[in-house]
Amino acid sequence: MSPYEFTNVLVAIDGSDDAAKALDCALSICKALDAQLTVLAVEGKLPAYAASLGEVDEVKREKDEFFSRALDTAREAAEQRGIDVRTDLVPGHSADVIVYYAAAHAHDLIVVAHHSHLLGDVILGSTADRVAHHAPCPVMVVR
Amino acid sequence: MDPVQLAAILAAAVLVASMLSVEVGISVALIELALGVALGNAFKLNPDQPWLVFIASFAGVVLTFLAGAEVDPDDFRERFWASVGMGVASFVGPFVVATLVAVGLLGWTTKASLIAGTALSTTSLAVVYAVLVETGLNTVRVGKLIMSACFVTDMCTVIALSAIFLKPTPWFPVFAVVSIVVIVGLPSIAPWFFRRYGDRVIEPEIKLVFFVLFVLMVLGEKANSQAVLPAFILGLVMSRHYQQHRQEQSRLRVVAFALLTPFFFLRGGMNVSLGAVFANLGLLALLAGAKLVPKFGLVFPLARRYAAEHAAFATLLMSTGLTFGTISSLYGLQAHIINRTQFSLLITVVVLSAIVPTAVAQRWFSPDVEIERAVDMRARKRALRTTEPATVTEAGRS
Repeated sequence: MSPYEFTNVLVAIDGSDDAAKALDCALSICKALDAQLTVLAVEGKLPAYAASLGEVDEVKREKDEFFSRALDTAREAAEQRGIDVRTDLVPGHSADVIVYYAAAHAHDLIVVAHHSHLLGDVILGSTADRVAHHAPCPVMVVR
Repeated sequence: MDPVQLAAILAAAVLVASMLSVEVGISVALIELALGVALGNAFKLNPDQPWLVFIASFAGVVLTFLAGAEVDPDDFRERFWASVGMGVASFVGPFVVATLVAVGLLGWTTKASLIAGTALSTTSLAVVYAVLVETGLNTVRVGKLIMSACFVTDMCTVIALSAIFLKPTPWFPVFAVVSIVVIVGLPSIAPWFFRRYGDRVIEPEIKLVFFVLFVLMVLGEKANSQAVLPAFILGLVMSRHYQQHRQEQSRLRVVAFALLTPFFFLRGGMNVSLGAVFANLGLLALLAGAKLVPKFGLVFPLARRYAAEHAAFATLLMSTGLTFGTISSLYGLQAHIINRTQFSLLITVVVLSAIVPTAVAQRWFSPDVEIERAVDMRARKRALRTTEPATVTEAGRS
């Protein structure tokens, strides 16, 4: 038996076109392998050093609405293809949360998009880079 | 410079600050403050043009009202005494030490030293809130404790700012009575008023709040007092109403963030003299120490008692400051209690205290939210087990 039996796939999305490609790729894998799919959205950073709770609250509310819509769209796409899917929206820093989540829920494959965030990538490396370095399982980076 | 020209330059700065805030993920207030420093020092813009002073003063009161209105009172009931203990210690320690350092070592006047004590004793509930919400820690006990304690410190700051500089005039009883009337009356008439006149593009509900705040400012000035305390309490008593009417709260925030608060923070920055800061780096370090050392000396032992494993995280977050530190310093400058050099030093310490302790707390001491949830769950189960026998006994008796 191959050590790579992908039965529990995690795909991370952020509502971008690149993430849509990653989702599409994950859907194809899950369909082909009859695997279960989890679509994870990580809310990411809130305004640092805020002067009022309102500034934080409003950004948080916008993120909640945006990511909930993205997860609904992902769920519909998966269900249309007859894939067993669950979705989750989690606060935190993208790479850390994806790695922690994959370990906590015993995922055997992580699918992430390759983004280019100029300055952030130069300083910190992309989310995909950091997930690939620290993940507890194989990682597929979709371009 | 012509007022319209200054307004145009500041409007450009406000726009740039908003765009930068979205791009880099730092709060717009901090960027406005930084742009104010840059513009003020590079182009010697006048921060004392009457229109700017007026808008910034009103914005300070609106920010104070919002600080009260954005609090959820239910969050502060759990572990009440622990929050009060940590919150009061977080205020009293830096207040006493910073005041003594300023009056004793720096030779500032007593009033200027009290402004230093007030500005440096603050915590920033908003900075703390962002850190906790971003990681989900706002939903666990340790996060709620830190937020409650920060709120208590804020309350102490507002009381200090109102009480210390009080020199009552014959108008003071009028100010006190009107404050009590609006604090008791506005939550009562708000449901009817907002139902009858709300949800319109002309925003009568925002105009009502602004009218009340202006009345408090006018009477506060006549009474030689400050509108911040009644404005904060008014916000608090209105918070439950805003929780049930999120759209109204959102629209009030839109008006405040778009038109008022940018000028408050820009003006704050414009008053900072970089030359004075760099010429007094030793004093800057001393004032920063006067804020941070007593925070650690008094808050850390209490945090060890109430949140043992996360005492350093709690203490660091309670060492932050931004909005009330800026409000206190600007009040001191406006009332000619402190000069521009003293203001520059205080604002620099306040801004550094928003950034450095937060970064250290997030990088090295942030609790794992999943572990904290599990800890909370075990604590709840233990509490249930200890209450069950009593319930059975009561049932047996009946």
